[in-house]
Amino acid sequence: MENKKNHAGPLMIALQHDDLFDLNSVSTNTELPKGRAFTFIKAVQTVNERLVEQNKNESLLFEVILITKECSEDVKMKIVESVKHYDLEIGKFYFCKKEELKNTLQSNKVKLFLSTDRDDVHEALHSGISAALLYDQADHRVLKQLKVIFSGDVLGFSEDSLESYLEFELSEKQIETVKAAKICVKEFAVLIGQMRRRFGPENSPICICVLTTWGSRNVCASALKTLREWGLDVDEAFCLAGAPAHPILSIVNPHILWDGGFHNMRDLATLS
Amino acid sequence: MRVCVCRSYRAELLYDHQLFMMNMNTALPKEMHTFWEKETCNQSSPSKKPKPPKPQNAITIAVSSRALFNMDLEQDIYEQQGMEDYLNYQIQHEMEPFAPGPAFPFIKFCSSSEEVMMDVLLVCVVQAVEAVNTRLRELYPDSEELFDVVLMTSNHAHVGLRLINSINHHQLFLERFCMTGGNSPIGYLKAYHTNLYLSADSLKVREAIEAGIAAATVFSPGKITEVPETQLRVAFDGDAVLFSDESERIYKAHGLDKFFEHEKAHENKPLDHGPLKGFLEALGKLQQKFYAKGQRLDCPIRTYLVTARSAASSGTRALKTLRSWGLETDEALFLAGAPKGPMLEKIRPHIFFDDQMFHVEGAAELGTVAAHVPYGIAQKIPPKKDGKKDTSARQLE
Repeated sequence: MENKKNHAGPLMIALQHDDLFDLNSVSTNTELPKGRAFTFIKAVQTVNERLVEQNKNESLLFEVILITKECSEDVKMKIVESVKHYDLEIGKFYFCKKEELKNTLQSNKVKLFLSTDRDDVHEALHSGISAALLYDQADHRVLKQLKVIFSGDVLGFSEDSLESYLEFELSEKQIETVKAAKICVKEFAVLIGQMRRRFGPENSPICICVLTTWGSRNVCASALKTLREWGLDVDEAFCLAGAPAHPILSIVNPHILWDGGFHNMRDLATLS
Repeated sequence: MRVCVCRSYRAELLYDHQLFMMNMNTALPKEMHTFWEKETCNQSSPSKKPKPPKPQNAITIAVSSRALFNMDLEQDIYEQQGMEDYLNYQIQHEMEPFAPGPAFPFIKFCSSSEEVMMDVLLVCVVQAVEAVNTRLRELYPDSEELFDVVLMTSNHAHVGLRLINSINHHQLFLERFCMTGGNSPIGYLKAYHTNLYLSADSLKVREAIEAGIAAATVFSPGKITEVPETQLRVAFDGDAVLFSDESERIYKAHGLDKFFEHEKAHENKPLDHGPLKGFLEALGKLQQKFYAKGQRLDCPIRTYLVTARSAASSGTRALKTLRSWGLETDEALFLAGAPKGPMLEKIRPHIFFDDQMFHVEGAAELGTVAAHVPYGIAQKIPPKKDGKKDTSARQLE
């Protein structure tokens, strides 16, 4: 496999504690019950294991930091305990206010902020944070593979293809947000691309998918080319030309769904 | 409308579908003229393509990449040298469009000129399907009951760019695709409400049939036959295709006489349905839309039953069964055991479905695009030797 040079540092990802653990259900145990991000973190750990298997000195590994907004000391303790209990590889814990989020992420060189809440993601994207949806996995079956979907509509977006987005009547501001999101995710894409290349096309613990819900096949081609330029090889590609995305998503069952906030800007019906 | 499809591998990409329409000469069939005029009058932006219908409303036909395009060379590389070399080859040759494969005519209008090469035959089907859509949109502009063709391939997205370039090069109206990166397509076929799955890989087709999806393995015909441009013609075998294989079992177990006896005795008892009954039903639904507008004689879809049953005896049960389902075929040909090839040569269907390789090969030899439905008792018998490679090797298509 080409390019085995050690990259300077890990790939930082941020999660929120209320995605990792379920704070709503009452439990008598000392540890908190598993939340919706559980399969994700297990998949990430699988990737790290495989990377280390190939190269003991691998420094390009996933590193997850846990963000916790305002909460009591009690809960803070429980969080730390639970992480230990489940043997989760959490690099750092941050207990910070909402306004401090951006700074916290930036100072930790976080390449992707994940949340199961679409509004959270949208807000983050709005303030220039690279963010994506942590997709609610249908079941908590732990897969041996981390699956990431990138939106072909956003990645394949260019001034020339603008007319295909006409029917959405995106405002100037929205178009700027889409363009910015595309630039924003590049760092994450480059790093995960390097990780992906540590493995061959088959039997890889990382699976990269491109999902184009509205764009034409040429928009999809443009997305594939963009990712290739960034050094990210794509495994699966889907071009739906307006068909509902949900059936495909339930088969692919991704952990991460990045679409630059595109779905928030238009009718969400097709993604539901 | 004659479209010239050349096998020259120019790096020509990204034809816009509408641009292609504008460059056509005046010898457009009448329907196409009307469609084009309507488009320019009604749309504010003339380059707006018709939107594909939602899968649940449409008759969805899924084709694999190897059914649509000729990828024999690449498949050899994959089998002999492995995945890495295969992918590298594809990427290096990305700008070279694939030549058309067996399913092409089912998807595109027939091209006929000296430059047409031997394997350009399935091209006609996809575009014949698009021609039907054109007529349907004319009559029912707001309806989503149209054909929808989806490319369903287990190839990796690495090959994606080359496939997209090829689709552009051949100007196919194919906006939907799934590249499953090595995973089985079955789940995706269901997600797209697929009414028919055409593939060059018999293993996948078998899987699909077992999952209850109408499917068939397409084979290239031995020679070119011109097929109609304005009418989509689909021919079906009866037993184990439209009907279940129950009668065929009797024939295989007890012989012809017992078969005749049985069929006569049960004339009024409808046969159970076979894997392609649903597809015939879907075609019938679209046909009804033309009949409703007084276009029965001019209907751009025509169906045929081509069966080894004989009209005098066993044929009656077949017809009565269809009638009991509220279905019909436009023509029913009872061959009483005679070879199907010559009859199909006369009919010139875009595609013919049969469960027996013997008939599939016979049809293909005489120029019909034939598709094998791996269902029923006939599959227990080892197939006759055919020119196709051993399909037990894993196929990336």
